[in-house]
Amino acid sequence: MLKYTIKRLLQSLITILVVVTAVFLMMRMLPTDYYFTEEQVMKMTDEQKHDQLEAAGLLDPIPTQLVRFYGDLFRLNFGDSRRISVGVPVIKVISQRFTISMKLGCISLVFSLAIGVAIGILQARNKDRLLDHVGTAYTIFVNAVPSLVSYSLVLVFGARVLGLPSLYSSRNPTKGSILPIVCLALASIAHYALWTRRYMVDEMNKDYIKLARVKGMASKDIMTRHVLKNAFVPLVQYIPASFLLTIGGSLLVERFFSVPGMGPLLTDAINRYDTNVVQTCVLIYASLGIIGVFLGDVLMMLVDPRIKLTGGGSTR
Amino acid sequence: MTREPILSAKDIEIEFTLRGKVLKAIRRCSIDLYEGETLAIVGESGSGKSVFTKSFMGMLDANGRITGGSIMYEGVDISKYKTEKEWLGIRGKKISMVMQDPMTSLNPLKKIGKQIQESIELNQGIHGEEAKRLAIDMMGRVGIIDPERRANQYPHEFSGGMRQRVVIAIACACKPHILICDEPTTALDVTIQAQILDLIRGLQRDLKMTVIYITHDLGVVANVADRVAVMYAGQIVEYGTAEEIFYYPWHPYTWALLSALPQLGVKGQPLPTIDGTPPNLFNEVKGDAFAPRNKQALAIDFEEEPPFFRVSDTHQAKTWYLDPRAPKVEHPAAILQLREKMKKGR
Repeated sequence: MLKYTIKRLLQSLITILVVVTAVFLMMRMLPTDYYFTEEQVMKMTDEQKHDQLEAAGLLDPIPTQLVRFYGDLFRLNFGDSRRISVGVPVIKVISQRFTISMKLGCISLVFSLAIGVAIGILQARNKDRLLDHVGTAYTIFVNAVPSLVSYSLVLVFGARVLGLPSLYSSRNPTKGSILPIVCLALASIAHYALWTRRYMVDEMNKDYIKLARVKGMASKDIMTRHVLKNAFVPLVQYIPASFLLTIGGSLLVERFFSVPGMGPLLTDAINRYDTNVVQTCVLIYASLGIIGVFLGDVLMMLVDPRIKLTGGGSTR
Repeated sequence: MTREPILSAKDIEIEFTLRGKVLKAIRRCSIDLYEGETLAIVGESGSGKSVFTKSFMGMLDANGRITGGSIMYEGVDISKYKTEKEWLGIRGKKISMVMQDPMTSLNPLKKIGKQIQESIELNQGIHGEEAKRLAIDMMGRVGIIDPERRANQYPHEFSGGMRQRVVIAIACACKPHILICDEPTTALDVTIQAQILDLIRGLQRDLKMTVIYITHDLGVVANVADRVAVMYAGQIVEYGTAEEIFYYPWHPYTWALLSALPQLGVKGQPLPTIDGTPPNLFNEVKGDAFAPRNKQALAIDFEEEPPFFRVSDTHQAKTWYLDPRAPKVEHPAAILQLREKMKKGR
């Protein structure tokens, strides 16, 4: 098991490296003018630009730059932002926004897990009855209606009826966070409810549940001791990934409520050709996604005794 | 010798509602079960063998219900049980069941020992270490070698035959009065089948259980059964001792069933089959349900449902052939041949 874990971890690292390298190489194809702000481009002469680029090592052959880039990565030196906030280290630009996104993400995730799983259990226990249909209607609504529409509904209801601020502001982050959190949770509640219900119903129809009934177990005990536990196994796999992705911030929600989080940063950086910021953002997103899947697999392995992913060594 | 039945199902009717339509799965079906005996219920798929016996434990699917008749067990009509609580007094403790497919009958995420232990804890009020010890003891009893180590393993580490042993251990852990075996060997390798049947027979003797086999394997029936009931289209059409059913059957469906035994086949010739299909139980069945497939059916078979006619104290058949007014019907050649063959085999 340990061997497998290490192997998967190395594979994940390689994948991240490949992604980052690809982005790095693509960024090098941009005209060198994009290393300067609009103002600098206008004011500086070609010579000045050339000198600066040379000093920054941006005119070296690509392989040299790549090796240097790897070295920087290794030392966790991500360079400075060149266009969004000139001269500020990327890590600083990102970390501010990251904390905001992470806070919103974590809170919404905790809520959606708790509420979503609870709804799923209720639905499964009341399958084909009113409660189940209400839950299904919610799931379908959230998935079918474009998210901006449901966000608008939340906004209208929250701002008009409850008097909550409709935009996030750093002066009053607590109140301003409520609506974004609700919107973030909206979809994931539906997601968790859907899968919890589905896996529970799956388990409920299995033969071993019949045997548990035959041996005289009450359905309440069957639910807690057999169904719920087994339904959680497939669900567990997705939790780390969705956790990490929520931390990464949501482009749509953060734009919608003007939350200065991670979400809008990547698009901004791409729009404005801020190479170092783009590279770092991509690195972060790729890592979050890949590590999420990796952790999911490890968790799954821990809870399901059937999975011995190394192959061999099983006793029959 | 008259014996008191320990379980007596009378005129049981079971209906299922499927997409708004009502299917009459069991049509006035009766059986008496006697202490310590082995009863085999045979019949083709869909004849209602499983559904009928499931109703003894309240294990019908949610869309099915008993609409008539009674099941007397220990002086109580358990067919009138409504709540789960009432059934919990029966399930596992009094009546238990071994199901067909051992590959799916165990919780894949629970240790084997734990699953048997659960059954003991539920029904015997014994907990913890003591229950664990009993579970391991039970595993040894069903022929699992090195039970202490195996108890800590998961179902995927067991072969099909071993899993069926575990299922049997779970079903018998609480020494039930009646054990229903729903095709216990169908999903198993032929070489394992005999072992499992032996195991059930041994447990039956040790724990003094009464066993009902549900099967369509007449080989199994000949091997284990004291009495046989033949089911067709939701009714028992004939019952008697195993000998009576194999040697002197009377119902045309039993004839057809026995004639199709591969043991009677002649090399190079196709095996006999029963033409036609069983009646659609969504519709009302008129007369003898088997009549449309019976080449020698009498006119009255299509008109009126036959009652049970007595052949001997233990043997009854639901066919007009036994009516004194009916023309004399000879047993088919295949049945006579079977009788010869079985007698020679003795």
